[in-house]
Amino acid sequence: MRAQLRSELLKLRTTRTTLGLLLGAIAIVLLEVFGDVFSDNLQAISTEDKQRVVFGAGTLGALFAAYTGIILLTNEFRYGTIRPTLLFEPRRRIVIGAKLIAVALVGAAFGVVGVALSFAAGFAALDARGVDFVVSGGHLALAAGGTIAGCVLCAMFGLAIGALIRHQVGAIVFLAVWFFTFEQILFNDAPAVGRYLPGQATSALGGVTTPHLLSPTVGAVALVLWTLAFVALAMARTERGDIA
Amino acid sequence: MSAVLETRGLTKRFGDVTAVSELSFAVQEGTVTGFLGPNGAGKTTTMRMLLGLAEPTGGQALVFGRRYRELEQPARRVGAVLEASDLHPGRSGRDHLRVLAAAAGVGPARVDEVLRLVELGGVADRRAGGYSLGMRQRLSLATALLGDPELLVLDEPANGLDPEGVRWLRDFLRAFGAEGRTVLVSSHLLAEVAQTVDRVVIINHGRLVVQSPLSDLTARLAGTVRVDTTRPEVFERALRAAGVTGAERENGTVRVHGLTAERIGEIAFDAGVPVRQLTTESSSLEDVFLELTAGREA
Repeated sequence: MRAQLRSELLKLRTTRTTLGLLLGAIAIVLLEVFGDVFSDNLQAISTEDKQRVVFGAGTLGALFAAYTGIILLTNEFRYGTIRPTLLFEPRRRIVIGAKLIAVALVGAAFGVVGVALSFAAGFAALDARGVDFVVSGGHLALAAGGTIAGCVLCAMFGLAIGALIRHQVGAIVFLAVWFFTFEQILFNDAPAVGRYLPGQATSALGGVTTPHLLSPTVGAVALVLWTLAFVALAMARTERGDIA
Repeated sequence: MSAVLETRGLTKRFGDVTAVSELSFAVQEGTVTGFLGPNGAGKTTTMRMLLGLAEPTGGQALVFGRRYRELEQPARRVGAVLEASDLHPGRSGRDHLRVLAAAAGVGPARVDEVLRLVELGGVADRRAGGYSLGMRQRLSLATALLGDPELLVLDEPANGLDPEGVRWLRDFLRAFGAEGRTVLVSSHLLAEVAQTVDRVVIINHGRLVVQSPLSDLTARLAGTVRVDTTRPEVFERALRAAGVTGAERENGTVRVHGLTAERIGEIAFDAGVPVRQLTTESSSLEDVFLELTAGREA
């Protein structure tokens, strides 16, 4: 497992994709923070709810962490490297397991960067507008932990989606449609159900207090269950079947 | 000598299509074996089953007496290439090797070593997406060599190579075989591997046609003599009377197998058959191959 993990981490480090996705995550977190702070009036950004959104912006990086997972897996099928990968380590569970750990580590890095950026940019932007901070230190600690956990779990969830779909563009589009269309529709029309979906659960982990959203703890449980279910399916799909 | 690779009643079906059917053959230790058959004969499917990438529908595919998946550190015993294009275009040749070396627990020194071996040292830090087909073939061969294996399994490694590349590959495989290691190399062209292999396994339509030393194959159809005569019927009768069964007639030409030209001349002379031309046909290996594989198609 260790040797395969080293190999998977090297795969992530030796193409520009991971860096590109990290830059994407940085851009979207900054956009969210500055958009929230500078587009609303002073009264709005003085509320705790709004400031929680600002300091929870790091969870947006989870989407890019999920794409890292998708790409690490689907690249193997896109470029045929799955063949040498499995020739060197034919125990497929070990390959998937090593990939899960590798993307979890990358997800954690995305989470740390997301937290650092959302906090630094959030404090700087709110300070620039002369607004008092009303979010407690305890909440910030919870948001930080939740953001990192959300990024880790989403990276693993993305990898599982990639293992199930295998086709890179298909998996990327699937995740986008799921997060941005399916979840939004269900959350708006049937929040009692929609709030348990992985994207909404990730938002809850960031400590955002949007109406109907789960508490961070329940959100964490929901996201863990989603991830475990999809990882189990991915393992089953990969274990059996021929590699073209 | 023991069997390094072995299939026993190996069968693979894709829906209604049977790609490999009851295939049994063995590759002995220390041999360079050509795995031959026309395109679509089932060679790649058989190799995929041997290498654990495809599950047999029936029978067994064994490497060192075990299923590939059951081998401990397989890259240190088996080096295999199924597709030369199995690489990430954005990764350098060296990084491609480093990624796989890490999985095999092989150090960076071996990466440099195999790069030198396949003569890619000068371009190792360039992105593999820019490599020519020949360079990709060499890089894929380098991946197979990373674990310093005792067995190489190569699927059509000469595909797309220029003549210089083909010669380089031939020399390389010869040198590898000369070290007492084992090679199974597939091709749809017998001539491509004839100077490299010492044994052949020929399949067609997923079934075994023949497995034998290459020399047996060469001897098998050698010595065909074409006789042009004005009296082919009389000549045929004379051949039968002399106990010759390997003869066939096409208009005024009789092709006789398994007899020397001198003996055939004597039979014709004794029978009073006028001979206009008597030619010894030197069958190329490709003729042998085509004849063998065509025979199974009927």
